[in-house]
Amino acid sequence: MNTQTHLAERNPGTIARHGDAQAQAQKGPTIVPAVDIYEDTHGITLWADLPGVSRDRLNVHVQDGSLFIEGEASIDTPDGLRLHHAEIREPRFARAFSLSADFDTSKIDANLNDGVLKLSIPRREEARPRRIEVSVG
Amino acid sequence: MSDLLFNTSLLDEVDRFQRQMSSLFSGLPSSIRASRLSTFPQINLGSTGDSVEIVAFAPGIDPAKLELTVDKGLLTISGERARVESQPEGRCYAQERFLGTFRRAIELPRDADPDNVKARYVNGCLTISIGKRETSRPRTIAIQ
Repeated sequence: MNTQTHLAERNPGTIARHGDAQAQAQKGPTIVPAVDIYEDTHGITLWADLPGVSRDRLNVHVQDGSLFIEGEASIDTPDGLRLHHAEIREPRFARAFSLSADFDTSKIDANLNDGVLKLSIPRREEARPRRIEVSVG
Repeated sequence: MSDLLFNTSLLDEVDRFQRQMSSLFSGLPSSIRASRLSTFPQINLGSTGDSVEIVAFAPGIDPAKLELTVDKGLLTISGERARVESQPEGRCYAQERFLGTFRRAIELPRDADPDNVKARYVNGCLTISIGKRETSRPRTIAIQ
């Protein structure tokens, strides 16, 4: 197995520069969601905590070799709610990672369940480790 | 090596090491990490005219393992977040998500009615709505 880290985190500033930079700037700061990242021979599995983010408010995309996870939490609250104590003030999540070329970005599998996003990023077939049979003769 | 051990520059080396360590840790997003390590789940609290609303940001928890109790004006949220899947042969690059048991207690305002509590778990958020007692609701007083 290659000892290099294939999934390097991008500078947080990248998110602001990317795409709708003006829109992001207007919206204000975002939360960096907590992630777990594991790699096995098939590829990388990433879990991200995105509480309150529904499927239609989650945006996972790959662009220029970078993986972007952006989501906005929406929580049903009654009208006239006055907030007394807030530990989560900005209900927007954003994080970006750069992917190396040996991942097949067209086959990323994303699954959102109870506010946890699970991403499966497979390696390309030719990048998978394989055993070479040695013939005697 | 001999320079490091027997030269007077040993203290310099220690200083350098300390500087490196502090710069390493100060580079982390400290505010987010601090709150993440210290509390789970994170809680927002607000109120309306006739209810107290609490949102606990607790993603990825089996609702059956969430326990919610109200006792003597103290609301307690406790539970356990289990490891999602075991990764026997995998290499781990990041493990930031909370794992294990948690417990948070919130003191309710005196006008909260413990018999009128509604709780829902949607998209990893536990929303708790506690009604206020009838007598404590704001009302306008007619002037005669």
